Amino acid sequence: MLRYVALKVGRALFVVWAAFTLTFVLLFVLPANPVDLLFDPAEINAVPPEVRERVAENYGFNEPVLLQYLDRLGHALTGDFGNSVQSGRPVTAAILDVLPSTLILAAGALVLALVIAFVIALVATSTRHDWVRNLVEALPSTSVSVPVFLSGILILQIFSFQLGWFPAFGDEGWRSLVLPLVTLAIPVSGPIAQLLVRSFAKEFHSGYVTTSWAKGATRGAIVIGDVFRNASLPALTIAGVTFGNLIAGSVITETVFARKGIGRMTQTAINTLDLPLVQGIVVLVAASFALINLVVDLTYPVLDPRLRATLAAPTAKAASGGAR
Amino acid sequence: MSELRETVESAARAHRRRWPWAAGAAVLLLLIAGIGLAVDRGGVSGDASAAAGEPVRGGTLEFALIDFQRSPDPQWGTNYAESLIGNNITDKLTWQDPETGEITPWLAKSWEYNDDLTEFTFHLRDDVTFSDGTPFDAAVVKANLDQYVRGDKALDINPNGAVLLPGYIETRTPDEYTAVVRFEKPLASFLQASSFTANAQPGFLSLSTLKLSAAERTDPTKVIGTGPFVYESWEEQVKTVLVKRKGYNWAPPAIGHTGEAYLDRIVFNTIPEASVRTGSLASGTIDATLDVGTTDEKPLTAQGFTIIHRGVSGTAIFFNLNSQLFPTNDIAVRKAIQLGWDRAAIEKTVLTDSYSVARSVLADSVRGYVDYSGSVLRYDPEAAGKLLDEAGWRPGPGGIRVKDGRSLVVKLIGINNLVVNKPAYESIQQDLKKIGIDLQLTVVPIPDYAALQAKAKTDANITAANRSRNDPAVLNLQYSPLLGNGAYLTKDSTGVDVEEVTRVLGQLELTLDPAERDAYAKAAQDILLDKYALVNPVYNPSQVIAHAGYVHGIIFDAQSRNHFVDTWKSNGK
Repeated sequence: MLRYVALKVGRALFVVWAAFTLTFVLLFVLPANPVDLLFDPAEINAVPPEVRERVAENYGFNEPVLLQYLDRLGHALTGDFGNSVQSGRPVTAAILDVLPSTLILAAGALVLALVIAFVIALVATSTRHDWVRNLVEALPSTSVSVPVFLSGILILQIFSFQLGWFPAFGDEGWRSLVLPLVTLAIPVSGPIAQLLVRSFAKEFHSGYVTTSWAKGATRGAIVIGDVFRNASLPALTIAGVTFGNLIAGSVITETVFARKGIGRMTQTAINTLDLPLVQGIVVLVAASFALINLVVDLTYPVLDPRLRATLAAPTAKAASGGAR
Repeated sequence: MSELRETVESAARAHRRRWPWAAGAAVLLLLIAGIGLAVDRGGVSGDASAAAGEPVRGGTLEFALIDFQRSPDPQWGTNYAESLIGNNITDKLTWQDPETGEITPWLAKSWEYNDDLTEFTFHLRDDVTFSDGTPFDAAVVKANLDQYVRGDKALDINPNGAVLLPGYIETRTPDEYTAVVRFEKPLASFLQASSFTANAQPGFLSLSTLKLSAAERTDPTKVIGTGPFVYESWEEQVKTVLVKRKGYNWAPPAIGHTGEAYLDRIVFNTIPEASVRTGSLASGTIDATLDVGTTDEKPLTAQGFTIIHRGVSGTAIFFNLNSQLFPTNDIAVRKAIQLGWDRAAIEKTVLTDSYSVARSVLADSVRGYVDYSGSVLRYDPEAAGKLLDEAGWRPGPGGIRVKDGRSLVVKLIGINNLVVNKPAYESIQQDLKKIGIDLQLTVVPIPDYAALQAKAKTDANITAANRSRNDPAVLNLQYSPLLGNGAYLTKDSTGVDVEEVTRVLGQLELTLDPAERDAYAKAAQDILLDKYALVNPVYNPSQVIAHAGYVHGIIFDAQSRNHFVDTWKSNGK
């Protein structure tokens, strides 16, 4: 068990380091010079070389690349990613400032997406009408296919500009959160719903369900009482994918609804080659990814007794029998 | 707010349904009045609405734009939000009249300069204070300019003003309210630079602000200016809120505003998505928006909103022709490009009334502008073809001309930040194809453009961009082989006397005598457009604002940036 944990933690750390290194390399391989981007593009030719040098010096861009890397890595280990090239703010502060907005948006959208996904799966499993099932089962692929910016703008047109129920932009109060939540939840719910529909169907035809039928349970009682618990577990395995969808969707959602957040910040940082900021964000995202996968890996044995048994088997074969 | 929205909506609906002709007539009237006023009063428009009358004090202006301010430090910006907000929290030494280009007093009551134009003496107003109560004086001017030009490594402050004030030596302070700014070389354009309101502008910050590091300046309440508004808050990516400065009484005399600003607050909302900006305007959530797309102008006008605009002063959007790279090293090719595209087609299909086709490399609002639409900048495909024929370019495969076995392929790099750019370039591409020139477009976002530009000397025949600076010396900055060298002139550039170009452009910095300067400006345009055909100007970009009828007095300054000191809302809300 200890070895399992150590292995998983080691892997997580490696992922974070690799992300840090890869971004550094990528941004240095890119042909554009971050110093140039601090000037008006039409003026770049006119910037005297000594001014350019002084600006480069301000950010340490004139040091040898390896030295810059080691310096940034050293500081990053202490949680200091330096100052944003574009705003001059410490990267950590800039990220922490926008992180709550994204977290609220992502968490809310995730909950909503789960609700949508479970409703779809439950309806698809419990309905007796084929046409209802077919219709409901088509929803997940539709929700994934509609681009977020399109659904966002449509939702805005209807609920904000026409009906005036919710504000169109900004992030003040819960009302400004509703439309972005829905917009983001739609594509995120798709893969989860698809997975759940399949696993609900599978569980619904398994042996213990037949037993329950035989005992005289109703369809609803079986779906809620037996199938729901067992069929839900696989949704956890795609937590990583879901997180990725949330981050990707948040870039567009935050832009359409003019909210502050990690997604939009990433986009600006990449556009302006704001190396320190990009690195800070990438490390944050990689760390979250790694952490989520780690938590999933570690909780899985807790939730699934069979996995616990296999894990325990090599180290304590004798005890495996008694574990059940 | 919702009441207001309903009123606006129902009003628009009623007009559309019941009296379409009345709405049309009203729009026409508004337009005529608007144009009349724009002509009359220069940048100060917006009073066009029927309900004008006496300015009303109070209220909050909800304003929308694409960009956000990356830092509240006004001396550090390269986007529109930054320069616009900077203009409302700081003041400049002088104010350039947007109509005449004349430099008029602001924080400086008067000024004089030596014959060499290396020393400029400003006599400052003595009643100006910063919002923290400290006085504005010569020492402040010196401290600001020193840091603006040199930066401060210890504070992580970049030399933001080094490009605007080349050759800055020092500022002397012979007495409390006299500042003498000295340069190594003659710099006639400094007088205009002292009024500069665009990117990285020389707006004055308090001594306490100048002591702050770049990171500390991200606390907006510590960024102190003398302007008509002060920071209330700054939220990166989202919005900047300004409130009225109590006791402000030094607006530029030329705009005719006395006392404090009319508005209590301005909220600059960053809304990246075009449909959300226009939707929010239509639904009444915001009062005015910048960055109105060309396709949105008509629908918004039809809904009863007022469109105001001003061309960006400086150069037009230009195609700078690389004079040392094949095939644009051939003057016949450069001249053929100038003659080979249909201006009327672009005017009709791509541009709205807010924009105009370029008639010179200078925008028509810059003093010294000369119209070349009747000579080198006309559409004459036959003349273009003849020039190419004479230079030995023969028709080749696929209709593209060939000379010595090489095809007439012209590579362009450009920026897609303005919506009009790409369609305009594509229209030119189609026209040039008809005369046998294969124009290849790479129109990309700014970072990619910056990367491509680093290699443009050897890789691109055309760099397409523009430069915002309301002074004819912008031509020297942009094209002098000693400075921007936009056409990549070298000793080897075929048929171009590089020293002549350097001298002719350079003399724009040698005089401030209006008549002399006009003559120099003409000489500079002649040499760039006609004699050596180093640039093919395309169109004049414009800044377009749509606002509700109850908003008045939004000023477009000489750099087409907005000032809100004279802005008011009829409803006072």
